Amino acid sequence: MSDISIVQRVKRFVGIDTQAEKYAYAQDPAYGFISESRVAERWIKTTCGYCSVGCGMLVGVRDNKAVAVRGNPDHPVNAGKLCPKGLSEHHILDAPGRARQPLLRKEGVLTPVSWDEALDTMVSRIRDIQGRYGNESLGVVGTGQLLTEECYTLGKLVQLGFRTRNNDGNTTLCMASAVSGYKLSFGSDGPPGSYADMQSADVILLVGANIADNHPILCHRVDRTSPGTKPRTLIVVDPRVTKTAMMSDIHLAIKPRSDIALLNGIAHVLIREGLIDHEYIRQHTTGFEEYAEFVSTFTPACVASITGLTEERLIEVALLYGRARAAFIGWTMGVNHSTQGSVTVAAINNLALITGNIGRTGAAPFSITGQCNAMGTRESGFTASLPGYRKFDSLADRTDLARIWNIDVERIPASRGLAYPDIIEAAVQGRIKALWFVATNPAVSFPNYKLLEHALRSVEFLVVQDGFHPTPTSEFAHLVLPAAIWGEKEGTFTNSERRISKVNPVVSPPGEARSDFDIFLAIAKRLGVKEGLYPGWNTTHDAFLEWQRVSAGRMCDYSRFTWKQIEDENGLQWGGASLYRDGVFATDDGRARIHCVPCDPFTEQPDVNFEFILNTGRTVEHWHTRTKTAQVDLLNDMVPNAWLEMNPADANRLSLKPHDRVTVRSRRGAVSDLELRITGIVAPGQVFMPFHFSETNSNIVTLGAFDPISREPNFKQCAVSIERTPRSNRRSVAARR
Amino acid sequence: MPLPLHELATSDTISPIVRLTENGLDIVVADDSRSRSKTSLIPERALLPGEQYRFHFDMTKCIGCRSCEVACNEQNGNPANLRWRRIGEIEGGAWPDTSRHYLSMGCNHCLSADCLRGCPVDAYKKDPVTGIVLHSAEACIGCQYCVWNCPYSVPQFNPERGVVGKCDMCHGRLTAGLEPACVNSCPENAIEIEIVDQLEWRSDYAAANAPGMPNAGHTISTTRITLPANSDVTLERVDIETLRAEHPHWSLVWMTSLIQLSAGTLAAGLLSGQTDPIALTIILLLTAFTLNVSILHLGRPAYAWRALKMWRRSWLSREVLLFGLFFVSLTVLTVVAWCAAIYVSHSILAAQRTLQYITPLVGVAGILASARIYLVPARPAWNTQHTPADFLLSSAVLGCAATPILNQITLFFHQRSLFNLPSNACEFHEITVWPLIATTGLWMMNHIVRAIGLHRSEVYERRASASLLNTHGLRGTFLVAFAFAGLAVLMALACQPLFALLAAFAAIVTSRYLFFVSVVPLNMALTFVRQVHA
Repeated sequence: MSDISIVQRVKRFVGIDTQAEKYAYAQDPAYGFISESRVAERWIKTTCGYCSVGCGMLVGVRDNKAVAVRGNPDHPVNAGKLCPKGLSEHHILDAPGRARQPLLRKEGVLTPVSWDEALDTMVSRIRDIQGRYGNESLGVVGTGQLLTEECYTLGKLVQLGFRTRNNDGNTTLCMASAVSGYKLSFGSDGPPGSYADMQSADVILLVGANIADNHPILCHRVDRTSPGTKPRTLIVVDPRVTKTAMMSDIHLAIKPRSDIALLNGIAHVLIREGLIDHEYIRQHTTGFEEYAEFVSTFTPACVASITGLTEERLIEVALLYGRARAAFIGWTMGVNHSTQGSVTVAAINNLALITGNIGRTGAAPFSITGQCNAMGTRESGFTASLPGYRKFDSLADRTDLARIWNIDVERIPASRGLAYPDIIEAAVQGRIKALWFVATNPAVSFPNYKLLEHALRSVEFLVVQDGFHPTPTSEFAHLVLPAAIWGEKEGTFTNSERRISKVNPVVSPPGEARSDFDIFLAIAKRLGVKEGLYPGWNTTHDAFLEWQRVSAGRMCDYSRFTWKQIEDENGLQWGGASLYRDGVFATDDGRARIHCVPCDPFTEQPDVNFEFILNTGRTVEHWHTRTKTAQVDLLNDMVPNAWLEMNPADANRLSLKPHDRVTVRSRRGAVSDLELRITGIVAPGQVFMPFHFSETNSNIVTLGAFDPISREPNFKQCAVSIERTPRSNRRSVAARR
Repeated sequence: MPLPLHELATSDTISPIVRLTENGLDIVVADDSRSRSKTSLIPERALLPGEQYRFHFDMTKCIGCRSCEVACNEQNGNPANLRWRRIGEIEGGAWPDTSRHYLSMGCNHCLSADCLRGCPVDAYKKDPVTGIVLHSAEACIGCQYCVWNCPYSVPQFNPERGVVGKCDMCHGRLTAGLEPACVNSCPENAIEIEIVDQLEWRSDYAAANAPGMPNAGHTISTTRITLPANSDVTLERVDIETLRAEHPHWSLVWMTSLIQLSAGTLAAGLLSGQTDPIALTIILLLTAFTLNVSILHLGRPAYAWRALKMWRRSWLSREVLLFGLFFVSLTVLTVVAWCAAIYVSHSILAAQRTLQYITPLVGVAGILASARIYLVPARPAWNTQHTPADFLLSSAVLGCAATPILNQITLFFHQRSLFNLPSNACEFHEITVWPLIATTGLWMMNHIVRAIGLHRSEVYERRASASLLNTHGLRGTFLVAFAFAGLAVLMALACQPLFALLAAFAAIVTSRYLFFVSVVPLNMALTFVRQVHA
């Protein structure tokens, strides 16, 4: 300790020094009076890296440090506003938890190594494993956090470089069911509407979408009271009285997983009352006759008994929807996180199709996506489909791609490999021997943790490439590759409404961290496929140029916009404001399919031992597995721990009090030390907990049941019991009663 | 003179925004729509005399996204544990007809601001132009009396700086025609700045009241709150079961206990005829020590002297003044006693006699001023007559317990003839244990009655204080304090005056600790799950 610091300490102790400099204010040239610590030298335009709303922002930089964030007032998505995560996003860039150097496990200990050693080891180990067990013994799980350019590059590297089809993304945990549902109904992925449709619709129906917590910057789109807004009806379907449900005009607090019955019941009333668009059905759809027959059994009485709503309520909502000139249906994880997610999406699409509420302003069945670039991975990814919404099983699509890539068509697989949950299961079975996770944290986000842990411990080689270390997943790794994150890379993100936005670097990555793109190219070089797959590539812009050629003429056509146009226009939507304006769909005959969707009970029903239905979800302060937001002091201070919501009736019965520490137990495991919140927000017999917290990992109890079509997990319902946590199992004894 | 806000708001000096383009950085001017939306949430006309700015919070618009809190901390560079704007939750009804609403509150810029009235150094100012309650970190000495006084717990002490800070409605932005950071950040436009006529508002401030907010009448909060229309559901705070122990303020625990020991011992000693200069010297040294301990409570001890400044208004200043006078008076009394011991003169004896009356009276006055500090509406558990009673009774208990020891020490010096003094020191009366028993009994009675009163109170914060005292951690401490008091009496009966004094002092210190930690301040409703800072 130097003398100066002692002097300063003494000065501080007696109060002569109040750190006035640190807390001084100054004039920011662009934004006026503000804390001196937030005054920037320059502002760089970019797009938020958290959720898929895709807000435009400006990041203030001083001395190669991001010091402030502002909403971009000219951006059409957010008009200058940001949520609390976006407003504090600059803090993640120099967070202490960033991964700064490659780490290789040597004698059981993660040891710093050079990039050369790290990547040489990675390629030789994977080659060795593939040599022994076959190419498909490598499984790769990517992410919706990557740039579109990076995701495109990764797809080629895995499928054409490593020659394994077992490539999927963490997006399968999130919006795979929306993709599958769109494909079922319209023949292709692609959300047909735009955010602005919410403002011009007469009826907005949100199903299992808590936008106030998860997409807060969309909430002003459903504002019905401010001057200049259109009077319209907001209907929210959610078993829980979410923040969004409280904003609604009508809240349908249905029983868990009775959404299909509700949707079929609405269709039943619409058909009965003649509130359907016969002309649209005749011209643009197939399957209506069977559907009409099928939903005839979903009478209001029958649906009321399944959903727990009254018949009057059901009919009221159906009439509102049917009589709307333009009706918008939005959904998120309440629909997708289900073993019936894909078909639920199809059931939603059915409503839009039979009423002609698609391809028009204000009318769309609209999946509000999760991650900042989930859409980009859907379009450019080489996972569930070929890049550019191409199909594995279409020879024409494969030939097309082989031509663009200048490779033999036989190199392009004719069917998709394993989906994310099947990769994990294959690892447990010993069919997958090497795993590579890119910017995802399955140890917190994947259901049924015990099985996942088994998989992570079973593989011979586990690579975790992430911007942060340690994470609960990187602790299992044999090799940790430190990656650059949002704010350190250049490329594009595509948001829920198909808006391609530019992402710009504001600072350089910490320590030795490199961009994911650089890492992919360096691996390609070692594999000897660099020039074959990425001829002359140096930057993500090279990837973008090729992606433009790959997507040209496809539905998701990026060839019409340059990076500069995208940046100058604050994002551009491929496909315009609505898809399917001409009523021509991406099916063989151009007609949309109307499917008959049965309503089955969810997989694990409560019983005498596990009497509660556990619902999981999010809170506005945190993002996903908290690798980022736990590093932002203010956000973590606001909500430092998970909680469990329980209805007062149940709490009374179990003699539990607010703030009691409780344990949630399912057939698969138990999570202890949750703070109990007794509230009328959840229904009797149901409990809710947020999944963000690795310390109280909800996925220790969740069920490993997956949608047969999309392979998306059923995170939302499983059977649990609740008991008071014994004092010995508590992490901390807070000064609370 | 009105602020140039009106002019700036209408002829907005459009802020340039720097963008990254291919050619590097260009300055471009924001478009009209932006500047319009920017100024619509702050008043478009100048303030007239008798008017001030205020926040308007529209509860029906707030979605609880907490952008305002983050924007506030970013604007002011505050650490995570200090939030000048805070979100609270209020909830009511039964599933599925449940309602939850949010409060988003900064400072309420009250018409009758208690933070300002209590401040001993005049660090607060109600801006004569804008009505904004401004706080000067420069002037602040970190005594935190404003923290105790504010019914909304708005001012927050920053231990890193040693001073308090609070929301100033982004005065620096407002004067430049920009809306405060919270207003600017809200995606739902739920917060705005309005003009209020102060006289009108004083006569009807009902719109400042809301579920989850303390009664606006305490200080006449100016924040107008728009409540949801469906008032058939009773909205209640969700955080009332979050009982957190307040900061113990150890230097105040010691300072109040020790000064009560000094004053009590002097008073009890003089009552029993103890006027020996050695005894007075000991009390004087103790008092000097205590006064030095007291300044350690301040965030900025070097500026303790500033605390005298507002003696006409602040009870904290008055306490400092009276204890200062007590010290001076005691010093003079001690000097006079030494003079009288060495050279007896008529005038010296007269002065001694006068000071023997004045000094303990000043001491008792100081103790009452000290107690008066805690009689603030914003801390209901303190704001009862039990507080001055406790302070006086503590003095009495300590005085009664200390006097025998003081006499023994004095005797010791005289017997060893360490000072060549005439031995009038042994002329004091024999001390009995009855005063100690009586005062201890009263002291205990006061505590018990207080605890029962808190428990049965109509006021939530008082009941919560009683609950806190009854928590696992504090219940034992409460019993320990009583055990020490009982022990003091037993020791006195067993002719162990030293142990009696130690036990009595331990009882006082323990109960004083509980006094500080168990107070539940008035506050706005906060959120259910949150980091609880001590």
